[in-house]
Amino acid sequence: MPIKLKSILGLSFLLMGGCSQLHHVHIGDIDQSQGTLTPFTIQVNELGFDLAKTAEIGAEVAKSSSTSEDLELVAFILAISNFGPKTGNPVYNDAYAAKVLAEVIKVCPSKKLTGLTSVREATNVGPVSGEVVSIKGYCINNNQTNNI
Amino acid sequence: MLKNTLLFSLLALSLTGCVGLNTVSMTQVPAQRNNVITTSSASWNFIGINFSNAFVDEAVDKLKGQCPTGKIEGVYTKHQTTGYVLMFKREVIVSAYCNEV
Repeated sequence: MPIKLKSILGLSFLLMGGCSQLHHVHIGDIDQSQGTLTPFTIQVNELGFDLAKTAEIGAEVAKSSSTSEDLELVAFILAISNFGPKTGNPVYNDAYAAKVLAEVIKVCPSKKLTGLTSVREATNVGPVSGEVVSIKGYCINNNQTNNI
Repeated sequence: MLKNTLLFSLLALSLTGCVGLNTVSMTQVPAQRNNVITTSSASWNFIGINFSNAFVDEAVDKLKGQCPTGKIEGVYTKHQTTGYVLMFKREVIVSAYCNEV
């Protein structure tokens, strides 16, 4: 296969891989008895990076066979070094999700929260990804209780 | 020979597990458990390529619709992926209790 066509195909697959991956879902209790609900969404994300995959891509596109072989070895070493259970790509900040609690409290002036849905997802584009934590929920408006 | 290979492949396919359980979660179960509500939402994709996870919101909306003025408690959420040939079905299955206050 000509090198240009191979590159175009490789790039297409890389972009096609730009997909949304769902890792975890948790739906909480929903209380619709105390008043109307106002939805909110909190989302935090961090850059995830798969170095082994990057080295693999480098090996594929390398012009000389010796460079390609070296990069394949690097990819292999990186892959076995990071082998083990993991969710999504590794990130460089292990506390990026810590701010969701403060954000959730801040977004709801009535301080009454319900229906919290926690989603852990990722958007992948080749070796790079956005590692996302989303919290969706509802603030309970006290209209009904105020009227009573 | 080819016939045997095909037959063996079909047999192997029939023995292959096709459902992957991704996550399971549960909230506090209420004492009053008379009115069970269930719902599910799904998203199909080809060889795992997805562009949205919005089907989760659909499950929450359906659940809310089944208990419009009550409390939805004891929410059991199951997220699973079923593989067919080249096609995958991602699914969120939810069951809960609806208690009117």
